[in-house]
Amino acid sequence: MEKMIYSILSVSKNSEKLNALLVGMKGISGTDLKAISFDGITAVVSDVKRADLITDRSNATEYAAVIENLAQQFTVLPMRYGSIMESAELINKMLERNYHEFQQNLQKVENKNEFGLKIFCDSEKLKSELRIKSEADTQTPEKPATKIKNSVYKDYVDKKLKEHRLEELMLTYVDSVIAKITGYLDRLNTINKFKKMATDTNIINAVFLLDKERKDALIHVTEDLKNQYPALNFVLTGPWPPYNFVEIAIK
Amino acid sequence: MSDNKILFNSGSLEKFSEEIGKLTNNEESRLKLGPDNADSGLAKLVLTLVELIRKLVEKQAMRRVDGGSLTEDEIERLGETLMKLELKMEELKKHFNLSDRDLNINLGPLGNLM
Amino acid sequence: MHDNVIDKSKDITMLELLDRVLTKGVILSGDIVISVADIDLVYVGVKLLLSSVETMEQLKSGKPIIV
Repeated sequence: MEKMIYSILSVSKNSEKLNALLVGMKGISGTDLKAISFDGITAVVSDVKRADLITDRSNATEYAAVIENLAQQFTVLPMRYGSIMESAELINKMLERNYHEFQQNLQKVENKNEFGLKIFCDSEKLKSELRIKSEADTQTPEKPATKIKNSVYKDYVDKKLKEHRLEELMLTYVDSVIAKITGYLDRLNTINKFKKMATDTNIINAVFLLDKERKDALIHVTEDLKNQYPALNFVLTGPWPPYNFVEIAIK
Repeated sequence: MSDNKILFNSGSLEKFSEEIGKLTNNEESRLKLGPDNADSGLAKLVLTLVELIRKLVEKQAMRRVDGGSLTEDEIERLGETLMKLELKMEELKKHFNLSDRDLNINLGPLGNLM
Repeated sequence: MHDNVIDKSKDITMLELLDRVLTKGVILSGDIVISVADIDLVYVGVKLLLSSVETMEQLKSGKPIIV
């Protein structure tokens, strides 16, 4: 029977605690949860039929809820939804092959949570502000790409060039905001990951890994950032299991 | 599991909800799967790759233009090629009924990818 | 009015949650990850799609499902 893997845990002395917890929980579609271990590294799994993966939102949510519950009591490495292996034996072998990487990652995330920060701007406003500022700074009007008019292709290039220059300005601005955030987070001992400009308005999409106890400090940092950038909007979410901080190429 | 993981927000939750929905739209395309969209699944993959390359090429071209090292002729030809590529891409998207959103088109500042 | 805030908070939380569990976390098929922008997401999506289509065909035909 195929098995869905929910997460990887470190359980050396706590296997009774884990088993007690698993008994009280259910996996996708009400299946039972089981533990498969290799030398203190444990995979939490349930039986699954492939047909169950013709999927709806509630399966994915149930799956995530299992991970969340486990994360309350243990250090976990969350698996992505859809992580299936053919048998308990194969899972055991997989744990053995990747033992060292699992250990390293578990250590990295021990006692830590992930938090997400999304920052939004008013795109048109920001662009025009940046453009105005840039023209003021350089004191020369923007050069068009070419001198010759009356060419649809050259007009096209001009248009693209303007867009390109604006993007560069936005990028510089975004980089400065990221530098500010990094500065503020310095004393919280975080691991940060930033994604820039996922959309026109979502200029920064960040995730942070930090000690669980520092949650409130992070909220304060976000408040400070808001004061620093009144024209931007911030959404901070968490705590999450460390989905964005598990880096393993499974062998 | 807690329903609300929001720790801080500054602004309209309604708007945030909409924006974040746009960002995470992939969930929709993955969850509503069936025999009907087998075609577009593959088309999506191919077109996403093509669009990525097109945008990288465009970006690089603009850097050259901005750098001022191209002749008028070269700029003209670049413009023609880029414009035709973009139009072709629009055609293909239309044919497969795929939007920019479907293709994860917002690749952000490509400078960093290179 | 207050209800709307609760609803929207739930919506946002759900979106964030699904984004994580569907596109992040440890993956087993490491060999097909193409790490440029979000391309790996699309590829994994296609893989799941192909399994589902296969299974759906089998389900439709009434044949036993081969796992």
